[in-house]
Amino acid sequence: MRQRYALRVNGETRETEAEPHESLLDVLRENLRLTGSKKGCNEAECGSCTVLLNGRPVVSCLVLVPDAVGRDIVTIEALAGDGTPHPVQRQMVEQGGVQCGYCTPGMIMSAYALLQENPHPTDEEIRFAISGNICRCTGYGKIVKAVRAAAEEVGRAAS
Amino acid sequence: MSEDTSPETTGAYHWIGKNVTKPDALEKALGATEYVGDMVVPGMLHAKILWAGAPHGVIRNIDTKDAARVPGVAAVLTASDVPGTNRYGLAVPDQRALADDKVRSAGDALALVAAEDEEAAEEAVAKIKVDLEPLRPILTYEDALDPMAPAIHEGGNVFQHTTVRKGDLEKGIEESDVIVENAYHTHRMDHVPMEPEAGLAYVDPSGVLNILVGTQYPYRDRRQIAPALDLAMNKVRVIQAPIGGGFGRKDDITAEIHVGLLALKTRRPVRLVYTREESLIANTKRHPMAMNFRTGARKDGLLTFLDGDIYGDTGAGVSLGAYVIKKAGIHATGPYDVPNIRVDTYTLYTNNLVSGAMRGFGVMQAAVAHESQMDQLAHRLGMSPLEFRIKNCLKPGLASSTGQLMNEGCGIEATLQRIKDYMSAHDLRFNRPHA
Ligand code: FES
Ligand code: FES
Repeated sequence: MRQRYALRVNGETRETEAEPHESLLDVLRENLRLTGSKKGCNEAECGSCTVLLNGRPVVSCLVLVPDAVGRDIVTIEALAGDGTPHPVQRQMVEQGGVQCGYCTPGMIMSAYALLQENPHPTDEEIRFAISGNICRCTGYGKIVKAVRAAAEEVGRAAS
Repeated sequence: MSEDTSPETTGAYHWIGKNVTKPDALEKALGATEYVGDMVVPGMLHAKILWAGAPHGVIRNIDTKDAARVPGVAAVLTASDVPGTNRYGLAVPDQRALADDKVRSAGDALALVAAEDEEAAEEAVAKIKVDLEPLRPILTYEDALDPMAPAIHEGGNVFQHTTVRKGDLEKGIEESDVIVENAYHTHRMDHVPMEPEAGLAYVDPSGVLNILVGTQYPYRDRRQIAPALDLAMNKVRVIQAPIGGGFGRKDDITAEIHVGLLALKTRRPVRLVYTREESLIANTKRHPMAMNFRTGARKDGLLTFLDGDIYGDTGAGVSLGAYVIKKAGIHATGPYDVPNIRVDTYTLYTNNLVSGAMRGFGVMQAAVAHESQMDQLAHRLGMSPLEFRIKNCLKPGLASSTGQLMNEGCGIEATLQRIKDYMSAHDLRFNRPHA
């Protein structure tokens, strides 16, 4: 049965109606029209639907809407909310970490979550952080480079 | 000697060696790019497909009555609703938009549903009843070559036979000091572009059928869509949407004809988005190949001959299979000089999923066989596999299997030499000792 849900998305409370078995991904994409989060598999394999839930990266295709209530949801759309791309976004562009772009939002959310928690990651830690995100185009090398460059940028800005 | 002012030496290339950002990279990094599956237009219907799920059979009946009664359903279509030829295919039109007489692979589409939402479309698909009379499935190379096997298409299951002949095979065999003979099999493979197939179609006020699709080739799509749906070429407009990875597979028709047909019939915009599972069971894959190779060399390390057969499983449709498999034959000797050659290739119809273009286009399958043969020959001759390759690679002045003269070589010698330099600079060795 359809129910009303109040979701806290990108700092705003959004009211929506959905079946309790619907995924957060479907509600974000179809109801709230936040289509930056992609649906590559709908079964927690590819990471293209990654969003942050209370600061942690999760695959939103595996989160049921009721479970997202009362938590802070952050999607790719919020990262450049003030009009300035986040360093991870800019470095993905500059280092050639974006090809077809379908994995890119999810990849960026995983990298963003990493830098929030660990501003000076090793390459090993970067690789681990994005290990749930499949990219079929780039071969990952340039994505790791982009995250490293973004970390340096964030580090410089902080010091 | 005059000074070398080539860009390679001076570094004066305009683009090569420079970091260039892709013009569409930023919008993708922002999550703003709309792929077809992200697009919504007013009044849009959602489409679902009933897939055959069985490899081979005669279609006795498809009953859509219950499906059409599901609330929210706007159309349930089968082959008899297709106004045109219902056929498409890149090399020959041997694929049906909707299966008519027979099911030829589990990935054949049997019926289409358009409904107000995906749930209604799914419910309707589940209510379609299919009466299928099973036929012997042709699943292996042996099945396809069996003269007693039922023909999947008119004309039999061997679609194409090609030959490569060079020099004198018997002489090559006689001159050989070592001969290795092996059978190689490569598997079917999905491209797995991260974006599953999707299409969105609508008929505009001027009567033109517009189809948004992440395709690799809008004009060739149009040439296939128009006759299949009995439309004049200028009544079809294929708009290339952002493509979330293709790798060869989106060279072929994917969602185009299905969404186009539904939009024509319902006169409403229709969007079709595959699930990942559908993407895996439908549309083209990489060709599995069976390769029987016999290759010889002399004691001094020079190759003498290749005697080989390549069987390619193109599934229930040729797509680009005839070219892919022919190419595997042409490349069966790899980047090496082989003076005496007999290679035959066979493009075989089976009831497996259709195979088509995929990065490498047949060359990679051949490489599995010829590089394995090279390793084994080097081992038998007691030579380093690298030296053996350097000795035999196509140098300037030599000709390929089909007689193409390498005016400047094909880059292989310089590549191998660099590997050699790198290995010796870093004291790297092959993990398998020579005989
Ligand atoms: S769509 Fe959620 S992990 Fe692939
Ligand atoms: S850029 Fe295409 S999948 Fe990552």
